[in-house]
Amino acid sequence: MAELDLKSAINAISDVIENRPRSLREFDQIYMKAGDMVMQSEFVARWSDGKRLSFIGDGDAISVCVAYLKKRGIINYGPSQITVFDFDERIVSAVKRFADREALENLGSELYNCLDVFAGPNDFDCFYTNPPWGASNDGESVKVFMQRGMEATSYRGEGMVVIADDPDLTWPKRVLAKVQQFGIENGFFVQKMMPWLHSYHLDDAPDLRSCNLIFKAVSDEVKIFDSSAIDAKDRLENFYGKENAPRVRYVREKKTLGYGKAHDDEYSLELLES
Amino acid sequence: MGNLIVPGQGVLFMKVGTHARESLEDIIERKTREIEESSFALWGYGGSTCHPQTMVQPFARDYHRQGGRIYLVMEPMESKHFAEPVRADELSVDGIKWEPIPKPINVKGSRYALVIQNLRKEEFDLPLDRTEVALGNSMGAPGGKYINGRVDKACLRILDEHHGPDRRVHIGLVADIVEPFAVYVRNKID
Repeated sequence: MAELDLKSAINAISDVIENRPRSLREFDQIYMKAGDMVMQSEFVARWSDGKRLSFIGDGDAISVCVAYLKKRGIINYGPSQITVFDFDERIVSAVKRFADREALENLGSELYNCLDVFAGPNDFDCFYTNPPWGASNDGESVKVFMQRGMEATSYRGEGMVVIADDPDLTWPKRVLAKVQQFGIENGFFVQKMMPWLHSYHLDDAPDLRSCNLIFKAVSDEVKIFDSSAIDAKDRLENFYGKENAPRVRYVREKKTLGYGKAHDDEYSLELLES
Repeated sequence: MGNLIVPGQGVLFMKVGTHARESLEDIIERKTREIEESSFALWGYGGSTCHPQTMVQPFARDYHRQGGRIYLVMEPMESKHFAEPVRADELSVDGIKWEPIPKPINVKGSRYALVIQNLRKEEFDLPLDRTEVALGNSMGAPGGKYINGRVDKACLRILDEHHGPDRRVHIGLVADIVEPFAVYVRNKID
């Protein structure tokens, strides 16, 4: 890894965080802590240097960080194209807004729910996902996001899956095993695992970490496939936790003129006496 | 007491004290009155360790389906909770459909609330090292290790035996958690 100007990198990530919508815990939007975002963004940029990278969901805004670090000259490597697919219009809009403001021409975003047919494009070189971690469904929710990532690459290329990793708990080990098995069943192998790496704003499990699990396709050949909607009950019934199946197609953004500013209903003004 | 401390029983442990600038004694008096008037009360709280939809509801439903229930067991403590005593206007079981909170019921300074009956003072020790987190991201973590620092509440299952040192907390207040078990609460949105 090249030497990173840490102060500049942290300030850049701070700009991204300032632009990000608040997380909705009900949909497992749990944000990575800022220091880990710096290191993760640098690593993702290096891993995907010169490639077309898709993000299947990206509440953390690692996609934006990756593009912005390069644009600011803090790193001189990174993907040639980044597209974020997310079902939260606030996230999709935040990506577009930031890309527009900072002239990040290689960064885009699309509203997409991963339970729906993935309409493409399917010519990405790699995918990144940090999905719901599947504590209550043996990683089934992870597999759904992975499947869409694999489809985005036509089952070739590479994928980075960020999921729970804890030496003291049993369920993350079970999920890690299931997810690796799913990758192998779909023509990928585990190229690298970086254990116990990231921490989160996660008040019910403040010590829980995640790892980077990096998959690579065995074959370079494009696979012909039909993407189909995911509606099997056994895949969805515990998607967002025990007995919490998805019921929302999109989170819609309420448009406001004062984006990023304090909401009018948060305060009132008491004037100086003149 | 002690008849709650049986293997397999589910409890929601919570530290309680001053909340939204109201003393615990005043809260108990007010909630008891609410239960008398409306047959239930809403016990406000915050934090995702006992998120209504992803934690408390599925946890409680498991026991309800088998004819049982989970109990709210509380450790009284000195605390300063400076949240504004703003009354919530609406409640929702699923975060989608909202309805007004009945007039006699008051939840203040909270985002979530447990639906409780039979609030009573009971004194006993809860052996945290004989419990584990029942579900969620910390599922399987020993209760004695989990309840620590900023984590002051949890959905716990009582185990057969201790796992680790015998850490105990003194329970002084108990309630039954009844359907729909836990709800979101909010101010009215026009």
